[in-house]
Amino acid sequence: MVLLTACASFSPDNGFDSVKNAVNQRTSAEPRWARTDAERGEVRQAVTSLLGQPLTADAAVQIALMNNRGLQATYSDLGIAEADLVQAGRLPNPRFAFERLVRGDELEIGRAFIVNVLSLLTMPARTQIEQRRFAVAKTRVAGEAARVAADTRRAWYSAVAAQEGVKYMQQVKDAAEASAELAQRMARAGNFSKLDQAREQVFYAETTAQLARVSQAAVAERENLTRLMGLWGEHIRFTLPERLPDLPKAPQQLEQAESDALRQRLDVQAAMQEAESVASSLGLTRVTGFISLLEVGYQHNSETGKPPQKGFEVELRLPIFDTGNARVVRAQHTYMQAVERAAELAVRARSEVREATNGYRTTYDLARHYRDEIVPLRKRISDENVLRYNGMLISVFELLADARQQVASVNAYIEALRDFWIADANLRSALTATSPGATTVSRRTSAPSEATAAGH
Amino acid sequence: MTNRRNFLRTTGGMLGAAVVSKAAMGAVPEAALQTSPQTQPPLEPSNGRPYQPVVTLNGWTLPWRMNNGWKEFHLVAEPVVRELAPGMKTHLWGYNGQSPGPTLECVEGDKVRIFVTNKLPEATSIHWHGIILPNGMDGVSGLTQPHIPVGKTFVYEFVMGKSGSFMYHPHADEMVQMAMGMMGSIVVHPKNPKFMPVDRDFVFLLSAFMIEPGAYTPKVAEMLDFNLWTFNSRVFPGIDAMPVRLGDRVRVRIGNLTMTNHPLHIHGHHMEVTCTDGGWVPKSARWPETTIDIGVGQVRSFEFVADNPGDWPLHCHKSHHTMNAMGHNVPTMIGVDHRGIAEKIMKLVPDYMVMGERGMSDMSEMEMPLPENTLPMMTGKGPFGPIEMGGMFTVFKIRDGLARNDYKDPGWYKHPQGTVSYEWTGAPLATERAPAQAVSAPKAREFRAVKPSGHSGH
Repeated sequence: MVLLTACASFSPDNGFDSVKNAVNQRTSAEPRWARTDAERGEVRQAVTSLLGQPLTADAAVQIALMNNRGLQATYSDLGIAEADLVQAGRLPNPRFAFERLVRGDELEIGRAFIVNVLSLLTMPARTQIEQRRFAVAKTRVAGEAARVAADTRRAWYSAVAAQEGVKYMQQVKDAAEASAELAQRMARAGNFSKLDQAREQVFYAETTAQLARVSQAAVAERENLTRLMGLWGEHIRFTLPERLPDLPKAPQQLEQAESDALRQRLDVQAAMQEAESVASSLGLTRVTGFISLLEVGYQHNSETGKPPQKGFEVELRLPIFDTGNARVVRAQHTYMQAVERAAELAVRARSEVREATNGYRTTYDLARHYRDEIVPLRKRISDENVLRYNGMLISVFELLADARQQVASVNAYIEALRDFWIADANLRSALTATSPGATTVSRRTSAPSEATAAGH
Repeated sequence: MTNRRNFLRTTGGMLGAAVVSKAAMGAVPEAALQTSPQTQPPLEPSNGRPYQPVVTLNGWTLPWRMNNGWKEFHLVAEPVVRELAPGMKTHLWGYNGQSPGPTLECVEGDKVRIFVTNKLPEATSIHWHGIILPNGMDGVSGLTQPHIPVGKTFVYEFVMGKSGSFMYHPHADEMVQMAMGMMGSIVVHPKNPKFMPVDRDFVFLLSAFMIEPGAYTPKVAEMLDFNLWTFNSRVFPGIDAMPVRLGDRVRVRIGNLTMTNHPLHIHGHHMEVTCTDGGWVPKSARWPETTIDIGVGQVRSFEFVADNPGDWPLHCHKSHHTMNAMGHNVPTMIGVDHRGIAEKIMKLVPDYMVMGERGMSDMSEMEMPLPENTLPMMTGKGPFGPIEMGGMFTVFKIRDGLARNDYKDPGWYKHPQGTVSYEWTGAPLATERAPAQAVSAPKAREFRAVKPSGHSGH
């Protein structure tokens, strides 16, 4: 009966505070639920100010958490769940029946006041169930927000890397252009055959096509980010930073990743809360299974010329045809289903954490390998080639082909760095929030082939 | 001159045990070692028959000892570091500290005993190229003798029958061992010192190496595409000049152990081939020349009277043999307008510089950083500017007033007044020329490829 009074009214935040805390802990950004025009105005202002400078990954996540309209729709789940809870804490309205019967000059008036006793008796239990459901809703909403945050973070890394990729492809194109132009002039001076000239020309032509493709990919990545942040109109003219953040000095140490994940993950929490909630409704069904309706009424009948007739009326439907066991069996299976789902999720979460941890370490090592080994080696090769060019040991065409290889290696490093940051986001998600999705290392990052250069 | 050191390379024990000779000597003679690549002064014979010694260009003569009427030499085949020119050291195989090995000098009729110690990582042998000797002393491993195993010493004994100029080189894994620089000269002087005497007598070998820019060891599998053409494993500007007293009769003996022929050309004089590795050429068979072609495996000795003072080149006339390491696949850049492109390239390659637009002289004018241990392809400064030569190139410095045995570099020639080409500063001269031809080929005829017929089924 304490609950009865406590929960019969709406909370001022609709449970959003706990969502906010959960999301904030996991994304270091604060979700906002804009319910009124005034609040929507504030969000718009906050978005505008965040877009005032080059967009960081954190800012992108912050914008998504307050401006992604799908997420706003999800926030409404809280209100719906809380309404259910409040509803459960309220008694069904009593029924009042009145009958007035006339036979000749005889008047018969009957009054009955009927109350559904069962709902009164089960109200605390039902309130508790709704309470749990509300908690599930809060965890799910937080999970959804964390998922959008992770998606946004990944999209930001992809967009920045793609933008950098365009820059490097542009350089490759410049080199190819110089080669082609030089080849043309050499053909004009009579020093180059049509075959040699065509070879340089076709490389340039192909590079131009490749640049168009890379540019389109960059637009797609940026639009994905734009969608996740819920931006349109003038807001789409945001600027991204020139470069991805540097690789951390050392990778995170992850000793108890699996148990941490089981403790922190929102989807695991939600599944467990769900199972609990189903368990309590199973208990209720067991108790009330065969009682379909118990109603108690007070009757007051008065008839002309007769003393009034008073008394109680109890109505109980007999469990002859429906003993309620079907409902109990259904509830039992629903419960087992919830338990198995939660168990499945726990197994998956552990596996995902292992995969994400491995992906994180691999991408970290790969990015470091590119940064510390491959890129410096390419640089050294380029330096040595300049020396060979100085000695007229190789031609300018070989020098340019090598410059393209060097550019490609820098680009491969950027892709490796992007893969690391995406793996980092995936790991964060797998550890604290929700399923990160596939965490495979990008296969697009491949060593530039020497064969192309050798031909020049 | 400098750095001559005689090392006691072998102490009685180890090698003494290795040498089981019919000659039953007490011990193997000391193997002298040379560490300097500079031309050493002639080694006057201190014992045995007298002769007029030779000067080995950027090399030296091996000392010997007399033992019961035998002239004993000791050659040690071993890995060496040879400076091809200042700024470039190479890892070669040679003899007694140098590649090529020391010149062996003796006299017609000498009984020679040559100890050969193998300190290479593989078996070797020595063939005495051009010398007539008993078959078992010919040094053809497998055919006339067993290979000289690693760490062992073999002995060759024979009589130098005929005077002239000869060579020595391995006849075991020959291609590799010669590609690594194993070779040397042999000069057999006439018994009669008055036979065809000369005042200055130079000797050297021609050899070629393929050493990748930045590397130190030759590519032993190279067949044709060599990039370093040498006189006695030296390239210009690392080859010493040959100082000559005005009026001297000069003999130059050149052996060719490269894989191609070399037309050696001399400036300012006529010369005659007077000897080959087959013997002396009768006067009636000689003809005057300024270029003599030396075929693969041949030795040619030419003589001339140095009657024209000045600095006169002697060089191979295959022009790429007077170049050091150069790219053989670089396109010709002459006449190609670089305007606007250089900036584009520099955006990607900041150290880029336009070269070759006017020719390759840029190389000798600009001093640009090169790969390590790599010589510029043409270099060497003369009194009037860059000489633009590398490889097989040197200079006879013919001067009045040098001492008979003076081999010191006398410096650049001081030309008498009015004997140097000069710039015309008078009125411009009218030059009549035919109109320049269009660069594009005239459209005289068009050819059409005819596709092979009979494939209509495809």
